[in-house]
Amino acid sequence: MSRTETTMDEPLLRIADLRVSFRLGREGGQMQRAQAVGRVVDGRAVGVSFDVPAHRTVALVGESGSGKSVTAMSVLNLLPDNAEREGTIRFQGRDLLALAPRELRALRGKDIACVFQDPMSSLNPVFTIGAQLCEPLRRHLGLTRRQALARAEALLAEVGLPEPKRRLRAYPHQLSGGQQQRVMIAMALACEPRLLIADEPTTALDVTVQRQILELLATLKQRHRMGLLFISHDLGVVGEIADQVVVMRQGTVREQGPVAQIFSAPRDAYTRALLACRPRLDACPARLPTIDDLMAAEAAQAAGGAPADTAAATPPPKDPDAPVVLEVRELSKAFWLRRGVFGRRLFQAVRGASFQLRRGHTLGVVGESGSGKTTMGLALLRLHDPHGGPTGGQVLFDGQDLLQLPRGALLPVRRRIQVVFQNPYASLNPRFSIGQTLTEPMAIHGLGGDDAGRRARAEALLARVGLDADVMRRYPHEFSGGQRQRIAIARCLTLQPEVLVLDEAVSALDVSVQAQVLNLLKDLQDELGLAYVFISHDLAVVRFLSDEVLVMKDGAVVEQAGAEQILRAPQQDYTRRLLGAVPRGWVPAAG
Amino acid sequence: MDRAAGASPGVWGAAWKRLRADRVGMTALAVVLAFVVLVVAAGLGGVAADWRAEVGVPDAPPTLLGPRAPTADPLVAGPAGPAADLRDIDPLAPRYAEWDAAAQRLRATEAPRAQTLPLGADRQGRDVLAKAIQGARVSITVGVLAALAATLLGTLLGALAGFYGGRLGDGLEWLYNVFTAIPNILLIFTFAAVLSRADALLPKGVWSIVVILALTSWTGIYRLVRAEFLKHAVRDYVRAAEAIGASASARIFRHILPNVSHVVLVQLSIHVVAAIKSEVILSYLGLGVAVDQVSWGTMLAEAQGELILGHWWQLAAATAFMAVFVTAFSLFTDALRDALDPKLRGLE
Amino acid sequence: MVAYLIRRLWQMIPTLLGVVLLVFFLFKSFGGDPAEILGGMNASPEQIEAIRTQLGLNLPVWQQLAIFLKQIATFDWGKSWATNEPVAAMFLSRLPATLTVMGPILLLEVLLAIPLALLVAYRRGSLTDRAIMVVSTVALSISLLVYVIVAQYLFAYRLGWFPVQGWSASVWTNLASYAVLPVAVSAAVALAPQTRLYRSFFLDEIGQDYVRTARAKGLPERVVLLKHVLRNAMIPILTNVAVALPGVFVGSFLIEVFFSIPGLGREVLLAVNRSDYPVIQAVTIYLAMVTMAVNLLTDLLYKAVDPRVVLK
Repeated sequence: MSRTETTMDEPLLRIADLRVSFRLGREGGQMQRAQAVGRVVDGRAVGVSFDVPAHRTVALVGESGSGKSVTAMSVLNLLPDNAEREGTIRFQGRDLLALAPRELRALRGKDIACVFQDPMSSLNPVFTIGAQLCEPLRRHLGLTRRQALARAEALLAEVGLPEPKRRLRAYPHQLSGGQQQRVMIAMALACEPRLLIADEPTTALDVTVQRQILELLATLKQRHRMGLLFISHDLGVVGEIADQVVVMRQGTVREQGPVAQIFSAPRDAYTRALLACRPRLDACPARLPTIDDLMAAEAAQAAGGAPADTAAATPPPKDPDAPVVLEVRELSKAFWLRRGVFGRRLFQAVRGASFQLRRGHTLGVVGESGSGKTTMGLALLRLHDPHGGPTGGQVLFDGQDLLQLPRGALLPVRRRIQVVFQNPYASLNPRFSIGQTLTEPMAIHGLGGDDAGRRARAEALLARVGLDADVMRRYPHEFSGGQRQRIAIARCLTLQPEVLVLDEAVSALDVSVQAQVLNLLKDLQDELGLAYVFISHDLAVVRFLSDEVLVMKDGAVVEQAGAEQILRAPQQDYTRRLLGAVPRGWVPAAG
Repeated sequence: MDRAAGASPGVWGAAWKRLRADRVGMTALAVVLAFVVLVVAAGLGGVAADWRAEVGVPDAPPTLLGPRAPTADPLVAGPAGPAADLRDIDPLAPRYAEWDAAAQRLRATEAPRAQTLPLGADRQGRDVLAKAIQGARVSITVGVLAALAATLLGTLLGALAGFYGGRLGDGLEWLYNVFTAIPNILLIFTFAAVLSRADALLPKGVWSIVVILALTSWTGIYRLVRAEFLKHAVRDYVRAAEAIGASASARIFRHILPNVSHVVLVQLSIHVVAAIKSEVILSYLGLGVAVDQVSWGTMLAEAQGELILGHWWQLAAATAFMAVFVTAFSLFTDALRDALDPKLRGLE
Repeated sequence: MVAYLIRRLWQMIPTLLGVVLLVFFLFKSFGGDPAEILGGMNASPEQIEAIRTQLGLNLPVWQQLAIFLKQIATFDWGKSWATNEPVAAMFLSRLPATLTVMGPILLLEVLLAIPLALLVAYRRGSLTDRAIMVVSTVALSISLLVYVIVAQYLFAYRLGWFPVQGWSASVWTNLASYAVLPVAVSAAVALAPQTRLYRSFFLDEIGQDYVRTARAKGLPERVVLLKHVLRNAMIPILTNVAVALPGVFVGSFLIEVFFSIPGLGREVLLAVNRSDYPVIQAVTIYLAMVTMAVNLLTDLLYKAVDPRVVLK
């Protein structure tokens, strides 16, 4: 297939002053619109502009709501029906916004191809892998069925899928997440596109699998000499694979430039803040700088105030002899699965976890999906269905074994061990006002005196987590993820607990919001002497908060040691692999 | 510090605001409310209470068409010529004057029958408009009561099955399987056949149909509510409620049920329409209301015979009333669903 | 697979038992005395007593239940109280008529609703879409009765295109003349709700991620709809057809009454009016068995339609 080189001065993809808005429907005779990309400044609309040079990787970075995905999807017009695009998108000199639908379709999958975030839902569940791979081959290249299947097999081998011939006949649900994403990449490569658009391709994958996919993308881009437009929220990933970085916030470009410059000498305050507020494996500050703090400090500095204190203080050491509040011995949890005609078998989700948790300390539990870390956390609290399967071991709290307590006697214990869940959008009852959510626990346990007393306590706690008192009357849907998570923390605090189990509590939050919540958690621990069981897949976050770390894999504890020791000198292979897979961002080349 | 300004309307307040903006929905609601007012008025005896009175000539046409031309009776041809004078030989002749005077005093007032009525008359001369209004009362009452009963039953059982699972769930699933193993119409017939003999227990009429329809239509709602409860019972906010120590009944009724209520409400509306249509068919077949009652179904039963003779107005009246109400109710249900949905999308 | 079949058949037993118990106790508790019904209005107490003994009504309840169960197990449905015809023979003679009418109705309904719903889904949001939705809402609000009455009056009585009522002994004559009007009216009436339902299935699928992938591969909208969306929507469509299938076997009593078609539905209606209990009981249990068989078949068919299904 012949390919003409693009001229030096015409980039592969040029986006100039792109503005995208969504029609929301008529209200009072006027069409309401939401601006997703581009912003109105002084009455003029300012759009997004950047280039993707041929054979280069350009990363679009931003948090949720930044408009990065919408920008990428608007290139091929894969947006919903109510989207409106304005501006210029030139691909190899052609204006994509002006193309007829038929011509645009000829480009899709052939010259420009896409890889999406969630491979399970992006693949058609009722067609085989082979059938789906052959579609673009037969449509764009006109291959016969046999030729297409042969090429499909070659593609699968190229993306590193073992037994490619057998996989052609497999269905998507029979593959793992990483394998599905490889199939998506193969499908994108099928017609040798000039530009590959990858929309958060590794976000839904485990960190070890993520590393493999990133390496695969880099190799393929090199080999096929493609341009790559990579969208991500993770600066660590971006720093490793990008040549150019475009930082977006709330629909506009804050800064763009070569990756070295962005990481070592960012010019924009937001970019600096974004880089600074990530928790890192190699440093352990007392508090994470948040975007608001940094931008406020910079503004103050620009106005002539004192220079911002950039050196983060080291945290005060924890008391190694603090009393043990929770002791877990050989905790195990299994689930019944149906098998055969009438039989069932036991699936061991957690095998033999043991640890001691001291007052004011944090135990970090790290693992990938399926490691059993969440199961263990819920088993501690006896939040599993009692008929689902047996729980073994001992959970000693204040002299009692929680697992042996009769259900009726659990109530007082529930007050003292609380849990914060992962999904801030699902952990608050959508029909309860915040006031109801906060006063209910106190009412159940008889705390706070009367109604007025409870409300007063709730308002005090809201202030403590950084929210206004008139939040009480409002409903969860009016708040962002970070705010909801703080409300969830406040709910736990109403009962004055001693132990808090945090099950992936910050995983669903943007990195800047994550920093705020992590700081809050640290402050609360210092102030109230809370003990945390912090469950997460993100090693850097665990590092920031934990004193001791448990590494889990397939239900078993692989390694268990102090946080510093695990990170400096991991003993087990799996731990090393886990540490190695964490994206480190851009690292200056030696020499 | 996060600033949050203004009062919050909550889910229902926001839904109401959205509904208010939907012109089609509000018009439909107005029509439905108008019918409800009519039904209540009819029920209290204020409107169309005398529908049984035969106020019109049989098969009187609607006012717009004008009275029917009197047809000459072809069979009896009267003789031509003046009537013969028989007073001489008539033995009763002397008494006629006396009897006439007596009859004058005792004459029963018979109101002259109308030649036309606003929507016409049926075969017995009863006012079709009054019948349609009374029919609306019966059909709509049955529809609403049956739907309410079915919804209550289905929701309660669905909540228990979805939340608890285990033995209780299995038992309820068995009950559901038994009821759905029999096709709906057959189940209705079976109950109708059986209850028609149980006059002492449940006299034939509105309540027997309500019971029959409730017992046969709870299964759809059960399935949906159970699925919703299964989905919600594993959600984090329910786990959080358990973690803070909320009891099982608190979790079912205070936490999950309000989150499922929008589904239940829409189901209720759908079942009102379905129940009305079922009642019409049952009454048509004679398995519905008692013989001395009127419903849209009985009107349609009569209309079939009248149509052959070219008298279409009872059919048109019953159809029009039913169509207007059911269309308005369906449109309102759609608007209600739209008003409730987008709000909740933000909550998911 | 065999293990799955065995487990499913095993699970059907409690359900069937439940249906039998429901029918038995329903009729026993509320149904009135069969002896009185059979005896008629003018029977003397001795005659009624004689009938009771004959029917075994003086035996203890559990024994009657046992007899009932035995009858079901041996497919001995008994005799109709009204006509004294064996119920089994009644089934066999009435079923063909029912199937001749209901089969084509179901087929037409589904085959017409799919393209119509596809069209409406393709043009979603447009004026055509909304117009069709409004028309179908109004059309749905009119009772089936009205459609049949008017259709019969108009097409058969006034225009004379079809016979008003009747049935013949030959399947072909039936299909060609007697069944045409009933099938056409029923299918037309069912079209509106079916189209709405299928439209919602298609719209659900159109919103899925894999549709975006298909578009990203450069496939035209037509192919996306007809190949990707339709194939996935077949799953809920199959469910819908399966739920409707048992109804095919009992027939539409309204249609059969209106058009004097000697089918099972009309038979049941007559039985209800005459309190002919053996017929009603037998049809109920027979239909329950058909429903369970159809459910099992559908679940097996799911495996062919949806590769994610694992029959355990």
